[in-house]
This record gives sequence, C-alpha cells and structure tokens, in this order.
Amino acid sequence: MRYIPSTKEQQEEMLKDIGVSSFEQLIDNIPDSVKLKRKLNIPSALSEFELEDKISRISQKNANFQKFKPLVGAGAYRHFIPEAQKALLQRQEFWTCYTPYQPELSQGTLQSMFEYQSYIARLTKMEVVVPSIFDGASATAEAILMSLRLTHKNKIIVSTLTHPHYLETIKTYLAPHNINIVEISFENGLTSLKKLKQTIDEDTACILVQSPNFLGGIENINEFSDIAHQKDILLIQVITESMSLGLLKSPGDMGADIVVGNTQSYGLELDFGGPHNAFLATRKKYIRQIPGRIAGETIDKDGKRCFVMTFRAREQDIRREKATSNICTNHNLNVIASNIYLSLMGTEGLYQYSLLNAKKAHYFEKKLLETGKFEQTYKYPYFNEFLLTYKGNINNLNNILIDNNYIPPLSIHKFYSDSFLENTFLFAITEIFNRDELDSICRLLSR
Amino acid sequence: MKLIFEKSIPGRAGFSLPADMFDDINVEEILPEEYIEKGKKYLSEVSEVDVVRHFTRLSKYNYGVDDGLYPLGSCTMKYNPRINEKIAASNNFTKAHPLAPIELVQGSLEVMFELNKLLCEITGMNQFTMAPASGAHGELTGILVMRKYFLDQGQKRYKMLIPDSAHGTNPASAAMGGFEVVEIKSNENGTVDIDALSKAMDEQTIGLMLTNPNTVGLYDEGIEQIEKIIHGKGGLLYYDGANLNASLGILRPGDTGFDIVHLNLHKTFSTPHGGGGPGSGVIGVKSNLIPYLPTPLVDFDQENNVYVFKDVGAKSIGMIRSFWGNFSVLVKTLCWILSLGPEYLYQASRSSIINANYVLTKLKDYYKPAYDRFCGHECTLTGREYKKYGIKTLQIAKRLMDYGYHPPTIYFPHFEPYADETIMIEPPESEGKEILDNFIDVMIKISQESKETPEILKSAPHVTPVSQTDDALAVKQAILTYDDELQNKDKLNYSKENINF
Repeated sequence: MRYIPSTKEQQEEMLKDIGVSSFEQLIDNIPDSVKLKRKLNIPSALSEFELEDKISRISQKNANFQKFKPLVGAGAYRHFIPEAQKALLQRQEFWTCYTPYQPELSQGTLQSMFEYQSYIARLTKMEVVVPSIFDGASATAEAILMSLRLTHKNKIIVSTLTHPHYLETIKTYLAPHNINIVEISFENGLTSLKKLKQTIDEDTACILVQSPNFLGGIENINEFSDIAHQKDILLIQVITESMSLGLLKSPGDMGADIVVGNTQSYGLELDFGGPHNAFLATRKKYIRQIPGRIAGETIDKDGKRCFVMTFRAREQDIRREKATSNICTNHNLNVIASNIYLSLMGTEGLYQYSLLNAKKAHYFEKKLLETGKFEQTYKYPYFNEFLLTYKGNINNLNNILIDNNYIPPLSIHKFYSDSFLENTFLFAITEIFNRDELDSICRLLSR
Repeated sequence: MKLIFEKSIPGRAGFSLPADMFDDINVEEILPEEYIEKGKKYLSEVSEVDVVRHFTRLSKYNYGVDDGLYPLGSCTMKYNPRINEKIAASNNFTKAHPLAPIELVQGSLEVMFELNKLLCEITGMNQFTMAPASGAHGELTGILVMRKYFLDQGQKRYKMLIPDSAHGTNPASAAMGGFEVVEIKSNENGTVDIDALSKAMDEQTIGLMLTNPNTVGLYDEGIEQIEKIIHGKGGLLYYDGANLNASLGILRPGDTGFDIVHLNLHKTFSTPHGGGGPGSGVIGVKSNLIPYLPTPLVDFDQENNVYVFKDVGAKSIGMIRSFWGNFSVLVKTLCWILSLGPEYLYQASRSSIINANYVLTKLKDYYKPAYDRFCGHECTLTGREYKKYGIKTLQIAKRLMDYGYHPPTIYFPHFEPYADETIMIEPPESEGKEILDNFIDVMIKISQESKETPEILKSAPHVTPVSQTDDALAVKQAILTYDDELQNKDKLNYSKENINF
C-alpha cells in the first residue's frame, strides 16, 4: 500500500526485534470478546485512478458551480480568490504541520497569525484578536460565554436579525447554563431600539447585534453602544460579511466591546458551508477571558524577534475544566489563507473591492425594481445584501434563475413568521458579477 | 523575519480591478455618511511578487509532515495524500453554496451520506453527525447529546467521570456542557482503576469519557468491567476517538459498549492538520441517541430518489455551528477510506502498533518507559534519567530539531509517579522502518550527549531560525499586533539583524 511504506519482511523483522512471534501478541491485552473477528464490511481498496473517477462522478451530481453563480449569501459569500493565494497555500509547510507548540519549527505559522491579528485589529479597531474559532456561529457563542464570565450576570439580549444558525448555536451552547436569552424583534429591517431599551436591565450581561444584519441592514451601532454602556452591558457585534469592513466604520470606533467576524469572505472557499473561519476581537483589558489561541511577540535567546502562542494559562491543555474554552484544534490554515488574501488586497484593494460590492448591489437593486416585478421590502441602509418582495410566482423565479445558471436568492419567510415577509428574497451581490450579467438577470426576471 | 508591514511601500499593489468600477453609482447616495469610514483603513501595500516571496519564505520557517518524521504523541501526524487534496479542491465541491437548493448539491449530500455509512461500519455505531468542527467541538456536542438524553428521561445527572490521563479537552468540554468533573485515577498499569471507578460511578453521574487506547498509548484491559460499571448505574460511555489509529479493523468502540464516539478525522483519517486545523470531529451514536443529534442529518428519499436534509426533530440539541460540517475534510476522509479498503485500514493500525512497539523496544534502555508493557499506536517514554545530568526533557526535544526531527509530545500526559518528564512518541503507519531506525539512533545519541556533553543540549536547537523563545516575556510585554510593536518601538529597540534574518 503506497501510504504504508514498511514491507512485510521489514515488519517481520521489527516484530522479531520487539521479541514477539506474532502481531497478535502485541494486542493480547485486548479482551478477546471485544476484538473484531472479521474484516470490515466496506468496499475493497480503490486504485488512485479509480478513486478519482468515482468521486469525480459524485461531484458531477452537483451543479457545475464554476458556471453557476450564487445570488444568495446569508453567511457564505462567493468572492474572488487570487490565484497567488491559492498557490501559496499549496506549500506543504503550511498545511501538513501541527499546532505551533514548538516555536522554533513554527515561525511561519506564528508570524502569519501575528500579521493576521494586526490586520483584523486595524479593520475592527480592536486591540486583541483571537484569529481562529471554527466559524461565525461558534465564535458568537464563545463571545457570549466570555461576556457571562466577565459580568457574572445571567441574562443576554440578542437581536432576532442575527443569522438564524448563529442564534440556534447560541441556544445550544447555553442550554446547560441557565441563562435567560431575550430576543429583540425588528422594525423596518433593523433591530428595534425601542424594544431594546425596554428590555435592558441590571442583570443583562451583553447585547448581541449583527451588522450588517441577517436581512442586510446596517445597524446603528453607536446607538446600541449608548444603550449598552448606560448599564455596564457589553456590546457584541457580529459580522457575517467581512467584506463590509473595507468600507464601513469600524466596530471599535462605534463602541463594540467584542467583535466576532466570519472571515469566509477573505479568500476562503464556500465549500458547502465549511470549513470557514471566524475571529473574536476585543479590548486588552479582557484578555484573560478570551477563548482560543493567540500569537504574541517575544525574543529568542539571541535577542531575535520571534513569535509564540501566548496567554496560554487560559487554555484547556493547562487549565482543564477551568479553561475559558475547550477549543483546541481550530481553523488556523484559514488564518494563513486570509492573511495572504489581505496582504494581496492591501489598503487600497480591500477598500475598492468593498466599495464595488456596495455599488454593484445597489445598482442591481435599482435595476430589479425597474422590472416592475419587485418592490422594496424595507427602506434601510445596506451593504451588499438586500431584501426585495417578489410580485410574481416564486417557483417561476427559482426555475428561471436555475435554468440560467444562477443559484436563487434566499427565501426569507421560513426564518420569520411575519406574514409581511412572504414572497421576500434576500439577494447577495459581490464583485464577481459584471454589469452585463446583472442586466441580463433583470431581463430574465422581467418576463 | 521582517513582517509584511515592514515590507510595505506606499503605492504598491497586489490586486487588480475591472475597468467598470460602477462609477455611475455614488457611495454618498447609497449609504449614510455616518456609517462610512472616513479615509481608508490602513493595512499594507505590497505587490503580488512581494507577497509570494514573503509567504514562501515564511513557509520555510515551518516544519511539516512532508519534511520528515513528526512523532507527536496523540496527534497522529500521518501522511496526507495528494489525490485527496486534489479531489476536495474540485470546483463542483468548493464553490457549492451551503444554501443552494438541494437539487443542485446532490453530489455533496451523497458524500455525506456515503461517509456516514462507512464510519458506522468502522466504529460499530448507528448514525454520525458531520457537524462538529474539531475533536473538542465533537466532545461538547456529544456531551450535550448525553445531557439531553437524560433530561428526556427525567433524570438530572450532574457529574462526568474523566480519567486523569485524559486530554485537557475532555474536562473542559464537560465543564462547558454544564457538568462537574470527577477525576478517576490511573492504576499502576496506566489504565483506569476499576475500584476507583466503581466507587465514583453513581446515579447522579452521566457517564465516563474514555480514550482507548488511552493517552499513554495503552489498551484498557478492563474495558468489559468498565462498561458494566457505567451501564450498571444507567450511565453512558463516551469514546474519545483521538487514538482510533490503533483500532481500525481490530476492535470497534460500538462493540465495546460505547454509546457515543467522536472521531478526529484529521488524525486517524489522514486529513491534514493545517497548522492547528481545520479538522473535523464528527460524532457517532447508537440508535437510542439519534433523536438528540444536532440538526440536520442527510438522508436518502427513496420515493423521489434524492438526497435530502432531514430535520432531527424536537428532541435534537439544535445546531452547533453554521451550515452542515467541515465539508472538504469529509471529502478527504471518504477518499482515504475508499483508497485503503478493509484490508489496508487494518494494516494501517497494525503497522502503527508495530512501529510504536519497535520504538519502545529499541529505546526503553535509554528512556525508561512510563509503563513496562506493550503499547498501542504510541509509546510513552520518560526523560527522567537525565535530570541528574541537569538535562530537562524539553532540552532533549529541542536537540532533536538539530537532527532534523520534529520532537515528540513532551510533558503530556503528566501524573506521578509513573508518567512525569514524559516523551510520547507516535510513529504512524506512514513511517517506514528505516526512518524509525534513524530516529532511534538519534535518540540514543542524544542520551549519550546528555551525559557527556550536556551543554550542547542546553543551547539547542542550533539550526532553526530562532532558538529558545522567551515565553514569559511574551505575556509581560503583550505585543499582540504590529501596532502594539510600533507603540513600543523605543523600548524594544531591535537591531536590524534581529528582525531581518
């Protein structure tokens, strides 16, 4: 077998050196009654070319996604990924290595984490960045647990316009902890500040708000901050579309205390939903309560600047049940992927791409409204995702789009019981669409 | 080496833009002024060439499995097949949107459906969820499933038993799941102390989390008794799959009485570790726990001949992440299992067990084993003999780097009197005999050096870009971003050579 180099003869030799006459002697402390006395009932080994044939046949049962473009986002966005990034990620040194526990053999990983932390700190105006928690949903749940540790309170307030998967995940994570979760409803596509003011009290640990929110609307984080900080409540901002950070004001400047960002838009594939990545950023004063790994700068014995994993006394391998989180393996390769992406984009590139996303989305919305088949669901500021109400037959809309190689926008009604949201669709437009495509989609839908 | 920020030159660019920048749309007209950043957020300004050279150079400061033996105990650093990477990177998989209508993603759903069947047969379980992102995430998911199961029976159990030899994630996950951790001591054989276990197990205890072979690499010969004790009090047995590489085709957790297992696909099933992830920590359960799994599961609708997402139902613990799983990792796992088939899955475990016992046999006169018995797929030696020469196990590990090896896991597990100053070596099946022979020779050489020329160990490593990092200083100065460094520039006062190497 090509992945098991030792030959039969070599293995016999090794068994002889070990001092046993058969392999079975090495495992004779496993009770006989629990040993599997048959072969596993799975298909026989495939050669490499048979394997490639077989799986490629399966992959062809998917739509041809090179051609198919998504008009849906909702937490996963198809953006352009530069070829140089993909090529650099092929370097085995980045992807075949382990967690950087030995800094002498891991400066590549560690420095990359540090650089990424620096980028995210600049984009969010935060001081401490945990570069990797699995995804936006789990990172949001971690942020809430962190706020509970910091405040020792037992009530949290969440905007109902947070991504439904994130809300579900929060509820799952908090189920054992007897926490009162209060959901705040919305008005005109934005979280209701009026309801929020009525709900906050001295027992509230945090307010969680996503911006741009699940319906695409940009929330007024400054106002959330004012409300939260009147009562020593921590404000957590969640961002599912990190491309927005290139253009929109930084969460830190608007008063967020903890920021969670799904960074799939920074050079990560859609991959049918994972593995993506998320950061958790906060203020330095909260560093002892952050979950997960973080890189810090130090020197080696000769005074050379280098990087190590730091503030480790919070972590599970040291603190066991008293750790701030159980997280060990995270999505660190995606940190390197996003670090390379942000390096290629740089100051001007991220700004221009971010701007282009906003402009194309607004152009498309205008054009769709001009078809007469759609109307605005809400008047609200948005970045690259927006809600429209369709006046025609929903099946018809989906069929036309699929027939023309577009993944339809998200039908939003299944997430909210509000009858006003029947026939509404959440569109996501990124830089990958050009004007001709956007115009032709509008022509298709105007029929 | 220099940071990307120190290579930045105003005006340089690593990106390209289309000709049509939609200048007919004015940002002032589409977005309120107060939401827009004034000016641009400064990141860096480098060309594509700069980026390619920077990261190529950085990669050379890492050590990967393709560089050589990576014998980290409990981590299963085996070869990551190239074909699996290629298949997982095909556009039809990578560009599949998770919210696309199911008729467009039948291939992706088939991958998840087929993988479930294979993993069930390999482990003896009845149903897997592909959602958990890592081993620890799988543990938390599994613990929440156990919790929900008991609540549904009207039982409030609040304790979880965990052996002292367990990974730190076990107690941390149990705490996140709302349980009080009760530590079970190991006996002189390195396995669970049956008396201690039976005393601790009661009807307020949800069950036991066990790794088998355990974290010292030893099969628990008391597994049948353990099963009786836990189930006897109505508890559940949780299997931590970190060490499944010693069990493929040899024994199945499901046949051993385990009710719930997590698998680290990035260990046993060859998917890459990625410098700390992404991996995957899928969990499998027996039939009675299926109603509590996270939602949704993939099912096949025979009537309409399509794969579908099936809601698990009202008893489900809910979602534990966004979307469905670490899909590309699942593709690689499927590829690996299909490439090995039943015969070579067994050979993989057999070979890893022979490798570990070979290293144990050859090194036990130099590094006293924590337990004098055959091991599973990893062996636990100790460096305590060398304390009298003023040598710490850490220095043995650093010296190995000079000889071109990644060190084994050190100082874990740690419990006196057997396992301290531990050196845990896991040589997976993808390492051939001659590689191990070289490694053994080097370890013996280092043992001699420890006695004869200890100074050379104390100053090791000598060939790496940096050597002996000051971890305490990192906490003290708390420089966590480049802007932190800029603010402390005067204090840090690095020379050119100390930055540019």
